[in-house]
Amino acid sequence: MKRILIVDDAATVRMYHRKILVDAGYAVEEAVNGIEALEKAIQTTFDLFVVDVNMPLLNGYGFLCELRKQDVPQSPAIMVSTEAADSDRTLAYQAGANDYLIKPVKPKQLLTHVRLLLGEVRE
Amino acid sequence: MPIDYKKNQVLFREIVGVEEAEGLLEFLHKRPAAKIDFGGCTHLHPANLQVLMAAKIRIAVWPKDANMCFWLKSALQPEK
Amino acid sequence: MNPLLVQFLSEARDTLYDIGQKLMQLEQTPDNADLMNELFRPVHTLKGNSGLFDFPEMTRVLHAGEDLMVAVRDGRVVYSREIADCLLDAMDFVGQLCDEIEQGITEVSHIDDAVRLADALRKLIAVNAARTDRVESLDNIGVPEQPKPTNFIKSKNLFSLAPVPETIRMDAFRRILKGDPLHRLVYSPVEDCFFQGDDPLHQAQQTPDVLWCAIVARESWPNLVDLDAYRCVLVFNLLTAAPSEELVELYRYVPDQVVIQPVDPLHLVIPTGDPNGGPVYEDFVAEALLHLDGGNLASLGRAARTMLELSNPDLWLSSALRWLLLLLENMPSNRAVLRTLIESLRTLTPPDWSLTDHDAAEPATEGLSENVTDSLNSLSEEDAFERDVILDAQRQILMLQDQPAWHSGRLKAVATTLINCCAAMGEIQTAAEIEAALKTGLETGSGGLLLDWLNARIGMPTLRANLSEIVQSPQGQQQTGNVISAFTDEGPKFGRRAEDQIGPRSLKVDQVKIDLLMNLIGEMVVSKNALPYLAQRAENQFGAREVAREIKAQYTVINRIVEEMQGAIMQVRMMPVSFVFQRFPRLVRDISRKLGKEVNLVLEGEETEADKNIIESLADPLIHIVRNSLDHGLETPEIRQSCGKSAAGTLIIRAKQEADRVLIEIIDDGKGIDPEVIKRKAYEKGIIDETTLEQISDRDSVNLVFGAGFSTAETVSDLSGRGVGMDVVRTGVERVNGAIQLESEVGKGTHIRISLPLSMAVTKVMIIESDGQIFGVPMDHVVETVRIRRRAIHTIKQSKTTVLRGRIVALKALNVLLEIPAEPRVNDDELAVLVVRVGSEPVGLIVDDFHETVDVIQKPLEGVLSGLSVYSGSALMGDGSVLMVLNMKEMV
Repeated sequence: MKRILIVDDAATVRMYHRKILVDAGYAVEEAVNGIEALEKAIQTTFDLFVVDVNMPLLNGYGFLCELRKQDVPQSPAIMVSTEAADSDRTLAYQAGANDYLIKPVKPKQLLTHVRLLLGEVRE
Repeated sequence: MPIDYKKNQVLFREIVGVEEAEGLLEFLHKRPAAKIDFGGCTHLHPANLQVLMAAKIRIAVWPKDANMCFWLKSALQPEK
Repeated sequence: MNPLLVQFLSEARDTLYDIGQKLMQLEQTPDNADLMNELFRPVHTLKGNSGLFDFPEMTRVLHAGEDLMVAVRDGRVVYSREIADCLLDAMDFVGQLCDEIEQGITEVSHIDDAVRLADALRKLIAVNAARTDRVESLDNIGVPEQPKPTNFIKSKNLFSLAPVPETIRMDAFRRILKGDPLHRLVYSPVEDCFFQGDDPLHQAQQTPDVLWCAIVARESWPNLVDLDAYRCVLVFNLLTAAPSEELVELYRYVPDQVVIQPVDPLHLVIPTGDPNGGPVYEDFVAEALLHLDGGNLASLGRAARTMLELSNPDLWLSSALRWLLLLLENMPSNRAVLRTLIESLRTLTPPDWSLTDHDAAEPATEGLSENVTDSLNSLSEEDAFERDVILDAQRQILMLQDQPAWHSGRLKAVATTLINCCAAMGEIQTAAEIEAALKTGLETGSGGLLLDWLNARIGMPTLRANLSEIVQSPQGQQQTGNVISAFTDEGPKFGRRAEDQIGPRSLKVDQVKIDLLMNLIGEMVVSKNALPYLAQRAENQFGAREVAREIKAQYTVINRIVEEMQGAIMQVRMMPVSFVFQRFPRLVRDISRKLGKEVNLVLEGEETEADKNIIESLADPLIHIVRNSLDHGLETPEIRQSCGKSAAGTLIIRAKQEADRVLIEIIDDGKGIDPEVIKRKAYEKGIIDETTLEQISDRDSVNLVFGAGFSTAETVSDLSGRGVGMDVVRTGVERVNGAIQLESEVGKGTHIRISLPLSMAVTKVMIIESDGQIFGVPMDHVVETVRIRRRAIHTIKQSKTTVLRGRIVALKALNVLLEIPAEPRVNDDELAVLVVRVGSEPVGLIVDDFHETVDVIQKPLEGVLSGLSVYSGSALMGDGSVLMVLNMKEMV
């Protein structure tokens, strides 16, 4: 079972994403800020990260930069943001995100991206 | 004159043709606070419409003609 | 020049070439609809792109050209050679404009030409259309015209319906269920439409049954100072209940500017409003689902109504409840839809209807079920779309110019993403390639290799595709703004450059810079040659044998590096012969039509590469030869048929690489060259004397056409015989150290071979000595060096000869050839003979001594010296002396 870490300070968003992903058969863990996420990512290996931008303590960019510096398997990361501007997108890519989705993410779109980023062939 | 330029108001009358756009642009550039009165306007060439959209002007009076009003609002009064 | 313009010009050139090719292909198969579409696209793209700049003349002509092509594509006009001619003319005109823009020539106005060309193109539409009409009415078999399917897009939503007020959406929803056709229509007038007298607002206002409209700009508004009021950037997004036929009819003059899409009623169900001001309505959701599962729809309706009364109508919740009641009323049996809407209350996110399992419920209306299957079938297509989005993101990441501390981690993540994406699409075998590219990338700290892999994998960057789509679909049009802002937004923050977006795989470098590099390496080659002299002096003059040895050792190292460097620069300068070949299809077509001949042109080996100078110097001679072949070689169809040949002649132009030379062959199956005619003519013109006339072989005599002042054309035609003959060709080829040879058989055809060096910048010469002076002989001509005993030299008919490997070789003393009054030096009763080959026969040059071979950069002789044909040029030696390089062709 593929493991996904949802990093978001908003409980509703975490719930929303969790429901979509759990229903699709993924093992999901949650972190409420960048620091917690980084600790979890170093302890265990995740196959994918779904990361919010604005969070207390360490935001999404900071988390991704730190994650990409770690000596751990570098799994793909989706940054989920409310900003649609190209400059925000580029900032996410610079920080180490591999994909960028605009909130609110449609369940279908999220699942398609997750599936592609995890390398799963559609049955 | 299809467009009547007042101190801080622009009055549109009947059919406002393409050739007015340049003058309108110039005026709005100088008086960004001017308000628009469409009261007597029955048709507006879209070149003028572009100027009004770009200038983000305020509308004082919408056209009496309901059809005209519908179309102008679709450009100048975005849905809340 | 701004990068966008540079990009436009370079793309325009490619596009024009592409258009030319396709026009000619189309002539062969005028009914090929695919080809017509392929042709339409680049013209359309070019027109659209030209509109980004202020090139009214270009846009005008392209616009007319596009209209003509649309007419042809739609079958209103029949494709003909006349049309092709006119379109080719137009494209030439555009090409010329591009050249002028590039050279910065702006003052010349071509508006007259533009108007003339555009009129000519439009006239063809009118004339042909009239003609076709007549045919139809005569035959009276009017096939009903199909509405163009390109205008209909079903899979992707043109614009979001969320901004449409709820009341209008509810009204629309009811109308669809009642059976009214509901369409999204996006009308994106072209930018120059005001100049064509169009009033898009008026056009849009004619649309029947408009429920809602939003007039938006396809790019963000600039400051008023920069606003061009007369460049139309408006886009009309309409929701209409008019049937599609009516819409197609209304917009028939601008079919390419309109997209129509039927509306799925569920897409209207978008709760909107304030999401705040309430708890998560978990209790209500639980209760509602209970009613739904129990089939108790009346209770569900009651619960919803109660909840609605308790809530502020502006809330998101209230909006969702209103929709729930509407759905209950209109499609109560569709449980899945109801469930989705209820569950959306948990997240306060609009339901994604494409995910809903519609099949579980009985479809409420036929229209609905149709739309549902549509969205299911298009899943894999959407997958591909999302995959492209992800791949494109990886490309953007790889193109970032920064080098942060987490660079390698980022690279690894990109590689994993690429591997997974490919695996998800069932391409597992690519993983190894990506991993290899990653490994190199991590070692070098650059994502270049991964980027190369990605670009090669997904073809050209999608931007190019986007650009051509912009004008095609209005959805793309809204993206135009983004694309362009990506160009102009050159914020150093992201290190993005316009060029990067287009073709990060290759680097465009100004030719001047390469030439400079070439000159520098040339000087380096010469300078490094000074080292052996230095070593010699160190040893001989200063007795520093050790130093001399070290200098020699260093020289070997430098020599190797310089050679590699030279090779690398040569590689940069290499160009495919297609650069020259690509103009032939057009040339052959034009000339053969003018002459009333039919010619099949066969191009082979276009990918063969040679130095830029060589390729460039090849162009003129080759064009001349091809013109000659068409003019004098190939016969008219009537003559050919009377000789038992096929009506159409064949002209083969072939290139291939042989060792360090490029071989170009031009072969025609025309009437050939009669050696008798050539001989007589050469004699008459005083090119050969009487003795030669009698003795010359047929093979040699046909090559007399290359002699100066020889022209076989009996009348001077405007094509090839402008007083200059094939001698121009020979001179051109020889200027770059090439050789040309002609073989011909009367009645069968002519075969011309041009052999050229791969590169011309550096020549290897052998240094020889005669009467105390040194000379250079290009190694291309040197066969061998031998020392011959004096008694092995025989005199046959006053000329000296010797026998080498069973062949008689004529001997010539260099001193005699150079008119040096000295006898050859004899060492130990032996003479030094340099065997050279010019043409087919080897000749022995008697010299005093041979020395080493060196690389030199030949400079042509200037001033009075340029008249000395025995020298091909001079070269500077490492010790500063000047070496005269002998021109073997002239001497022997």
